[in-house]
Amino acid sequence: MMRKSDFEGIESAPRWILLFLGANLAAGMLAVYVWHAANLVFSIQAASGSTSALSVTGMAAVDLWLCLVVLRGFPAGAPLRSAWLLITLAAAARVVSGVMGSLSGSGAPAVLAAGGPIQLALLAAGIFTLLRVLRRFGFCREPGTADWAVSGIAVLFTLCRLGEVAAEWLAGRPIPLETWISLAGLPILCVLFLEAMLLRQSVVRIGNGLITRGWVALVCGIFLTGAGELTLWVIPHYSQTLPLAMFGALIRLPIAAAFALVPASQVAAQRRATKPANGQPEDLAGGTDHRLLWPVMPR
Amino acid sequence: MHPSTAGLVAYCDAQAGSARRRRIDNHLSRCQQCRGELRRIQVEKDELSISGISGATGDLKTGLTELLSSMVAWRDGQTVGLASGVKNRVRSQLELYMGSPAVSLMERPGMRAEELLANACEILDALLGPAAAEAVRDDMLGGLRCAREAAETLSRAAVERHPRAAADKHPPRGSEKHQ
Repeated sequence: MMRKSDFEGIESAPRWILLFLGANLAAGMLAVYVWHAANLVFSIQAASGSTSALSVTGMAAVDLWLCLVVLRGFPAGAPLRSAWLLITLAAAARVVSGVMGSLSGSGAPAVLAAGGPIQLALLAAGIFTLLRVLRRFGFCREPGTADWAVSGIAVLFTLCRLGEVAAEWLAGRPIPLETWISLAGLPILCVLFLEAMLLRQSVVRIGNGLITRGWVALVCGIFLTGAGELTLWVIPHYSQTLPLAMFGALIRLPIAAAFALVPASQVAAQRRATKPANGQPEDLAGGTDHRLLWPVMPR
Repeated sequence: MHPSTAGLVAYCDAQAGSARRRRIDNHLSRCQQCRGELRRIQVEKDELSISGISGATGDLKTGLTELLSSMVAWRDGQTVGLASGVKNRVRSQLELYMGSPAVSLMERPGMRAEELLANACEILDALLGPAAAEAVRDDMLGGLRCAREAAETLSRAAVERHPRAAADKHPPRGSEKHQ
């Protein structure tokens, strides 16, 4: 049962993020249902676009702010300082992309680069540093078959996209700059998938504590990014009537929320350490419920 | 007239008066029976005193041994209880921040409490940040006076690992004056 104190202070950030995400998703689902019940007589693409962009940018801003709070807890020389610095820079890239997208249009190359390959590369570097630290403590484990399979899907998707673009290029059709930028992010996404699977294995090895919940959220964020890319690529191949922008908005917010949960969980853990919850059940102390994030994670 | 046994005992113990002693001396020089009686009393007295002293020494040794054993057992019990308490706290904190599997990964059979504590602090320091890890460590050692030394050792190690953070937290007095 939730109490008032569960939603007080910065340590309650994971709960607020999940609450906001839940409300937003429910509203989005309702909109899709109404649109479908009304027999597609009106377009909901335009209405959903600006609202979702605002939500996503706002979530990215919260993510950046929480990252900065976490970064303050890691002074120079701390093993995870560089990892958090890179994760913060990735969050900053998402904010810049969101703000610039609102100001100059989402199709601008700088916007696409900041929200695509740049933030993915920064994230990949950050997770690589995190994995190195975990390896030093003996928490890393080889990826399993399922991990290789999931990473394989990402690679397959990348190859399909590259093949499609190559076919168009060979046919003499002009390839827009945004497509090239999008393609540049795909190999990084493959690396991120592999890192996410390694991180998932580490979490399985370590357990689901207050610290590891943030990593679970990171794995979810990467998984959702890949799934979103795949969905947005697959849908136009099969249906021209589905509201693509609506689906895009429905996918982008959970991704932003998952990435925001990473520093939020870390902040919750840090605050739990410095301000122990008196008489609180430890399992509820400032963390997110892992079942909402990753159903296969062990308790 | 022969002296009484009580008189001979008093003579033997040198507790008889000088007149009585003189009388007994005169009598003993003439009476063989009383000399024999005095010898018997003397022998019995010697035996009694020897057995009494040795008996007392045996009791003392046994008592001291028992006392020392009790003290050692008490001290060991205290140490074991303290170590067990520290281990339990470290385990619960690790479970809270990392998870149960992490505890089984970190704790080897027969691992000493201070070793587990040091490992936990190092990992929490890396993953949670030095300030938060220090708070967790204080929480783990809270109320355990005997663990103060371990805490100081860990603090020194933390300062060696993050000298800059320590300098920020505890600036030297000279710099405070300059400011």
